[in-house]
Amino acid sequence: MTSHNHLCADIGYMSLNHAGEQLCGDHIEIAGMDENSTVIVLADGLGSGVKASILSTLTSKIISTMLAAGLRLEDCVETIAATLPVCSSRGIAYSTFTILRLVNNERAEIIQYDNPAVILLRDGKSMELPASMQVIGGKNIYRTDVALRENDLLLAMSDGVVHAGVGGVYNFGWRREDIARYMETFWHVGFTAKTLSTILLQETNRLYDGQPGDDATVCAVRIRPRVPMNLLCGPPSIRDDNEKMMSLFFGKEGKHIICGGTTSTIAAQYLNRPLVADLAFPDPKIPPIGTIDGVDLVTEGVITINRVLEYAQNYLDDNSDYERWSTGRDGASRIARLLFEEATDINFFVGCAVNPAHQNPELPINFNLKMRLIEQLADCLMKMGKRVKTSYF
Amino acid sequence: MNITVCIGSSCHLKGSRAVVEKLERLIFERGLKDEIALCGSFCMGQCQTGVSVLLDDAYFSLTPESTERFFVQAVLPKIAKAKPELVEIPQL
Repeated sequence: MTSHNHLCADIGYMSLNHAGEQLCGDHIEIAGMDENSTVIVLADGLGSGVKASILSTLTSKIISTMLAAGLRLEDCVETIAATLPVCSSRGIAYSTFTILRLVNNERAEIIQYDNPAVILLRDGKSMELPASMQVIGGKNIYRTDVALRENDLLLAMSDGVVHAGVGGVYNFGWRREDIARYMETFWHVGFTAKTLSTILLQETNRLYDGQPGDDATVCAVRIRPRVPMNLLCGPPSIRDDNEKMMSLFFGKEGKHIICGGTTSTIAAQYLNRPLVADLAFPDPKIPPIGTIDGVDLVTEGVITINRVLEYAQNYLDDNSDYERWSTGRDGASRIARLLFEEATDINFFVGCAVNPAHQNPELPINFNLKMRLIEQLADCLMKMGKRVKTSYF
Repeated sequence: MNITVCIGSSCHLKGSRAVVEKLERLIFERGLKDEIALCGSFCMGQCQTGVSVLLDDAYFSLTPESTERFFVQAVLPKIAKAKPELVEIPQL
């Protein structure tokens, strides 16, 4: 069943490793059930390092795969109990977990086993979630079912977050209520789920004095309205298709981004408006942007998109470039903000014409990579949870 | 008078930013801000010979190194023709 609502889930997560460990003992797994339903599992393996990483990876993978396939929770828990390797020093197989099952982005089923309770911020305020307890395989498991609303923010975390500052800044660690209050201040800003999890973990790391005493993981889920966005790049391989490509592109709902000099010239002719190129270089390596009345953003092509791809890969990793692209005035930063933060549904219109000048082997960038760049960018955007459609001309 | 510098991908990689900065400096030094409009253009379709520059309608192929020569040999004489009182052409 497909839902006709306009909501979608922006999912972002991040982890901090226990000081000195190369592997994280927490793991997040996301499985899509259908277009609008998703299972997210956050698992925290016993201990830290390799052992914990194996336990949490197995747990989250098994639960997400089984639930997404429609199996009962009881079966998942039994499978984990029967599958997890038993820790030789402690004699138990153990991984705590939090499951968020989003149904049509209008209902969330929250299933929790021993992780800090999920925080829900609604209208900017933390809201308590009533839960019912159920014993499965000797484990006390809490279930909650909540109807979601636009702008709801769900925060799932491992206990490494609430333990931050124990004995140091706070006597008993960072309490869940404190975390909720801390995050309430960021709810209004409209940050993405990834940025929100980064913010929470930066504070966690600060409370640990940069030396986390445990693996700490945060998964944020933001329920937001769908926002379509369209990006046009490259002239069509057959010149006669200019008109067709432009009319399809401009016929789409949402903002319009055009990348590439020749492409924007064609668009300007189609719209019968002047194309004005800027001469300012806010970022010395990125060519200036341009303006066409009726187009939301006009930039240069490959060099700019190459940078956007770097930002996208970094966003999915540790998001350390955030400060550059979140404020930058250059074309790449502007595209990054529109695609990563604003858009939820992105249409790529890719023209496959070959520019003879780009075949010059002396140039430092291989322009044949253009199509490949867009493919990689589309892939990153899908990993950010966005719907992406690419059409070639 | 208009000077248009191509800032398309190819010309960018060949140094259009340095050309723009040099021209901005030369125009400023000679106090010709009111005489010359410096603007950018996306791909002029002459990528092979970039950095592409238009002086009004005349096409020039520049590099950052040849920019000053272009300014002295092409831009200044053009201004001198219209307003001789404004420029003094140095010998290069």
